Amino acid sequence: MTRIVTMTVNGEERELPSPVNRTLLDVLRAEGGLTGTKKGCDVGDCGACTVIMDGKPVNACLVLAVEAEGADILTIEGLQHGPDRPHLLQEKFMEHGGAQCGFCTPGIVMMAKALLDETPAPSEDEIRFALAGNICRCTGYTKIIEAVQDAADEMNKARAQ
Amino acid sequence: MTVHDHPVATKQSFSVVGKSVKRSDTLEKVTGSAIYAGDIILPGMLHGKIKRCDIAHARIKSIDTSKALALKGVKAVLTHENVPRVLHYGSPHPRSASVTKDQYILDDRVRYWGEGVAAVAAVSEEIAEEALGLIKVEYEPLPAVFTVEDALKPDAPAIHDNGLDNNNVLPPVIVERGDIEKGFVEADLVIEGEYELGRPTAAYMEPNICVTQWDGNGKLTIWSSTQTAFMVRGALAEVLGVPLNKVRVVVDHMGGGFGAKQDLFQHEFLSALLARETARPVRMEFTRKETFFGGRSRHPGKIWLKQGFTKDGRITARQARIVFNSGAYGSHSPGVTNVGTAAMTSLYRCDNIHLEGRAIYTNTPIAGAFRGYGVVQTYFAIDLQVDEAAERLGFDPAEFKLKNAVREGDIAPSNHPIVGHGLEDCIRRGMAESDWYTVRKAPKGDGVKRRGWGIGCEMHGSSAYPGIKEQGNAIVKMNEDGTVTLLTGTAGLGTGAHTALSQIVAEELGVPFEDIAVVQGDTDVVPWDIGAFASHTTYMGGRAAQIAAADVRRQVLAHAAPMLDAAPEDLTITDGVITRTDGSNRSISLGEAVAPQRGMPAIQLVGVGTYTPTKSYSFGAHFVEVEVDTETGEVAVLQVIPVHEIGKVIHPIAAAGQIEGGIQQGIGHTLSEDYVIDLTNGRSLNPSFVDYKMPLSMDMPPIRTIILETAPDPGGPWGAKGVGEDPIIAIGPAIANAIHDAIGVRFRHYPITPENVLNALRVKLKEA
Repeated sequence: MTRIVTMTVNGEERELPSPVNRTLLDVLRAEGGLTGTKKGCDVGDCGACTVIMDGKPVNACLVLAVEAEGADILTIEGLQHGPDRPHLLQEKFMEHGGAQCGFCTPGIVMMAKALLDETPAPSEDEIRFALAGNICRCTGYTKIIEAVQDAADEMNKARAQ
Repeated sequence: MTVHDHPVATKQSFSVVGKSVKRSDTLEKVTGSAIYAGDIILPGMLHGKIKRCDIAHARIKSIDTSKALALKGVKAVLTHENVPRVLHYGSPHPRSASVTKDQYILDDRVRYWGEGVAAVAAVSEEIAEEALGLIKVEYEPLPAVFTVEDALKPDAPAIHDNGLDNNNVLPPVIVERGDIEKGFVEADLVIEGEYELGRPTAAYMEPNICVTQWDGNGKLTIWSSTQTAFMVRGALAEVLGVPLNKVRVVVDHMGGGFGAKQDLFQHEFLSALLARETARPVRMEFTRKETFFGGRSRHPGKIWLKQGFTKDGRITARQARIVFNSGAYGSHSPGVTNVGTAAMTSLYRCDNIHLEGRAIYTNTPIAGAFRGYGVVQTYFAIDLQVDEAAERLGFDPAEFKLKNAVREGDIAPSNHPIVGHGLEDCIRRGMAESDWYTVRKAPKGDGVKRRGWGIGCEMHGSSAYPGIKEQGNAIVKMNEDGTVTLLTGTAGLGTGAHTALSQIVAEELGVPFEDIAVVQGDTDVVPWDIGAFASHTTYMGGRAAQIAAADVRRQVLAHAAPMLDAAPEDLTITDGVITRTDGSNRSISLGEAVAPQRGMPAIQLVGVGTYTPTKSYSFGAHFVEVEVDTETGEVAVLQVIPVHEIGKVIHPIAAAGQIEGGIQQGIGHTLSEDYVIDLTNGRSLNPSFVDYKMPLSMDMPPIRTIILETAPDPGGPWGAKGVGEDPIIAIGPAIANAIHDAIGVRFRHYPITPENVLNALRVKLKEA
């Protein structure tokens, strides 16, 4: 059985057809045309499909699309401020070399965004804890942690001014 | 003795090389617009799935696909009865030196639990999945063997009929130097030990995936996540019976490979065949579980090692027997066995050597290529034993390793003389950075948690020479506005290779980095490439790009010389401007110089670079602090100081990223990662990220990376060497040696699990 699910995706109201047993991840990718959100395991172990749903980070592979009826979804494609105007977190990932193969990157950037929304000045331990469910196999996390820390510092400086 | 086709270019100062420019692939990656094979969505696309067996060794008596075919939405079903029966190399290298020809797309026999036996294409993934359940397979079980010991027994079942006895994948690899009998006679101390190797797997984040489409002219396009696009093209063409110009392999971005995506996987053939049969595009994506079942692991196995040492700290003899478990197919076993065995001739100097390397078929998942390619295993054994010898002879282990370190002029495993003092430099620098003598003398603690420091060393070759005579190719075109397009066949694994190649072209041509655009990953367009592996992309592909850029530079200067009334050799290009070097200040921008003149076609400026390298060696020493919890057995790595000598560094941040990531994977296989096979039936016990435990953000220690450029190799661009594989090799022995420093127990295996630590401590307590 297929339903039309209505949700706000990256600020735009979308009506996306979905079989009732299909995940938000598959529907965002196949019907929404938003392939930036990645499928690394499809069972909630790797975090590559992290999106922000009603302000909270979720594994899109663990949410049925029909559960997202009426929800507000932010994906990696909705994070930048406009063409060639990346979000500060995205800038910092580029600057510090936080992305290698890039497959985990969208999920990690979204999880970092959710962290900084809630905890604007996280300690290194808090960043590591926030990313505990996001597997990166390329970087050893060193440059990811640096990028998130640097982004937080810069946002806080901007706020203080 | 080293012969290089092109003399090294020397340069005093660099404008682009050596700077961490913004990587050309990262804006796409951080914004989610980078296209991976799985992001290709085509009109009318079907979804393919593979049915996998649940038995480790059996003949297929019958397969009934009628119910699956009758399911609404199913468009095709393939079994061994209706696919071409062509024996192929599991890994599509062009030469059999490193790989084995022992696989069929689908066979009437299965050799490991999880091997594909049938494939379905349907209008949705859900229907394809449902159809798999409707396929009935009747098996006639065959006796199965899961360990090398069992596979070697005279009455063991033959897993392949390759003409070799006892399930050997290849004839034993023998490497001899000097006279070991004489060497052991000279020794004051002989240490003998057996080292056991676990089964870590690459666990790249992007599961294997391909999308295939045939056009109306009988041409196949396949988007696939592969490190070896041209090899996939070759194998597909051979097996499908079509010429090379009818197969196009496209790889834009790929989500990691770490060596394991050099193989050709069943789904690449099956997807192509399903697409041909249905005349519709077919997408085939492994589940995470399937990347364990159908992927490739590092070779598990055992290494028996015996070495002789003198009281004054020399190594007089080294004898080893290496037995790798290849799993059900040969894949890269010949290459891994050759490289891993030959590596034991080096690292620590020894004149009298006898090594024997084997790889044995068993009814377990396939071991293949994985970062460190046999050397992770053999240097683990050597470094642990040398550390033990240092202790027993009363030497500091770092001093002992420094004393025995391979040095300039020594003959490397490739039979080339070593260039420079890279390993010695790494050990010395690490000792200084860690304040080695102080930290080694520091109290280990007398409470529950004990601390210790260890050192591990490594060296690794860039390029697969002499096993494979490799070749890098590049085409550099200058456009009529002075911008530059680089065409390269090397895959974008995520290392930053295309950025490094662009930097090299920009440096050689004298143009800004931003003026270089890269075209890659399309076998119809880019020059032939052997693939991205063997730590050779910067070394070999970079050198080819440099040669191509130099070619264009010559052409441009010849073209511009009359405009500046000068000879080409009296001109230079800096920051995109051609200037006379005689101080006259006459100059012209590249854009002006190459622009089409009124009424004239634009000048064609195309440079071609082909480079056939031999081999260079990079070096590394890792200094590691661990904390061992004596109540839980848990080992925490507290800090790592990796020192790597890699010749001229092209992009420091990308190079450091390789080192940090290699350490992560190395901590994994040393302490927790092991793909476990049930030895009663061959079933995989932990094919998921929850049960296969990798070090993640909470586990990773601070890493203080130090990169040295003291031993540049004349084979690479401005002396650059490889770095991709090196960091995963030294970390394992460094951790094992640090655990010994902390609790006085010498383990001779990996992974060293909390259970192993607790058991060893119990034994130690009893003995005391």
